[in-house]
Amino acid sequence: MKKILPITNAIIAVFSGVLVLLGYFFHGVFGGVQSILIGWAIILAAFALLLGILNLAIVHIRKVRLEGKKNIYSLVLLISLFLTMIIATISGPSGSWTLWIFNTFQVPIEISLLAVLAIVLLVAGARLLSRRPKWYTVLFLVTVLLVLLGSVPLFLIGEVTPLTALRSWLSQVPAVAGARGLLLGVALGTIATGLRILMGVDRPYGG
Amino acid sequence: MDQVLSWLQDYLGFLFIMLCLGLILFYVTLGRDRPKISLRDIQAFRHFWREVDLAVEAGKRLHISLGRGTINDVPGGAAFIGLTVLDCCARAASNGDRPPMVTTGDGALTILSQDTLQNTYRSLATEQRYDPTNARLTGLTPMAYAAGAMPTIHDENVSANFFAGHFGTEIALLTEAGERSRSLTVAGTDSIPAQAVLYATSDEPLLGEELYAAGAYLGAGQVHLVSLGMQDILRWVLVVVIVLGAILKLLGI
Repeated sequence: MKKILPITNAIIAVFSGVLVLLGYFFHGVFGGVQSILIGWAIILAAFALLLGILNLAIVHIRKVRLEGKKNIYSLVLLISLFLTMIIATISGPSGSWTLWIFNTFQVPIEISLLAVLAIVLLVAGARLLSRRPKWYTVLFLVTVLLVLLGSVPLFLIGEVTPLTALRSWLSQVPAVAGARGLLLGVALGTIATGLRILMGVDRPYGG
Repeated sequence: MDQVLSWLQDYLGFLFIMLCLGLILFYVTLGRDRPKISLRDIQAFRHFWREVDLAVEAGKRLHISLGRGTINDVPGGAAFIGLTVLDCCARAASNGDRPPMVTTGDGALTILSQDTLQNTYRSLATEQRYDPTNARLTGLTPMAYAAGAMPTIHDENVSANFFAGHFGTEIALLTEAGERSRSLTVAGTDSIPAQAVLYATSDEPLLGEELYAAGAYLGAGQVHLVSLGMQDILRWVLVVVIVLGAILKLLGI
């Protein structure tokens, strides 16, 4: 049984993957099967989400039990999790109480983290020269500075047209060219990863 | 002629995938008689391996973060590389006292990472080391995911972090946490804005396709090396096609 189960998993995964892939190119023949399989995948992903939340709760329950008062944040997380689940179950996913929780807690906290992110990026930019003292680091920082200066009106001067034009050229020509080069590499890597899974070489599903 | 062109346009993607598959199979069959494929030095992988050895010796942990890409979509590709990295790290750290920690931002990825850990330990006959809570879902939105993963970096005695998956600019918060806890951060993602952020914030950023070479560099097997060869060939083909297209457009053809 220990040997049969992994092989069965691999056969099901490879067969489903090939059918979904063929569905993209031969929609008339494999389109129906593809839709059914993707539908099943979405349902399974929803259940996986529930299991993930259960895992999150177990991790923090264990932390509270082992470390007690030292782990006040885990306790806050657990209380918030269960309260939100109860309120969202009673009020519904778009009910007024659920939206109140979302707008009063989640949105402000995420926005404040975004503000922290801006500071982190600023500090990282300043530290970059000591971390990687190379000519392309200087080029990176000069480009960042030029794009920043070209994006906002300057104090007492207002908008500087050459800087705005330079920013526009930088973001539309070299940045797009570089990004396309990177994306081509990413696309080839993604195809190779997908093919390894379809060949049954990589088996992240317990095969 | 128009019919042929229209057919080609419809099935070009399929032909391209078949070409990739053909190249991989060709290299695999050729591989037994050929000398080992040589890899260029990527500092990030060299440093990471050194840190894995040090972590085992010092009784510290490795932290692998798989991002928040869903496997039903394109970003899942990068997360699958993260799972390969996880498998290699769990094997390499199997002699250590503390097993690796995994953080994810997607339910299905959490289950896959638990499965990967369990399979790795089973294949090493050390299944008693498997603990499902070592693979954790930390949050479902970008900021919640980052906020949930940061305590793992700070509190779990981590010596090296490997971020491999789909991330946004929130990855800066995670690399900053790594910097503060004085642990090495190696990071690669499929997202272009996040790659720009990684260049500025990570100790060892993996740019473009370097992330997808992780399996080959971390010793995941011959097919990983072979698929890297396939990517190199097709990259040159694409470069030639793009340059030719630009020249033809310049000539007005």
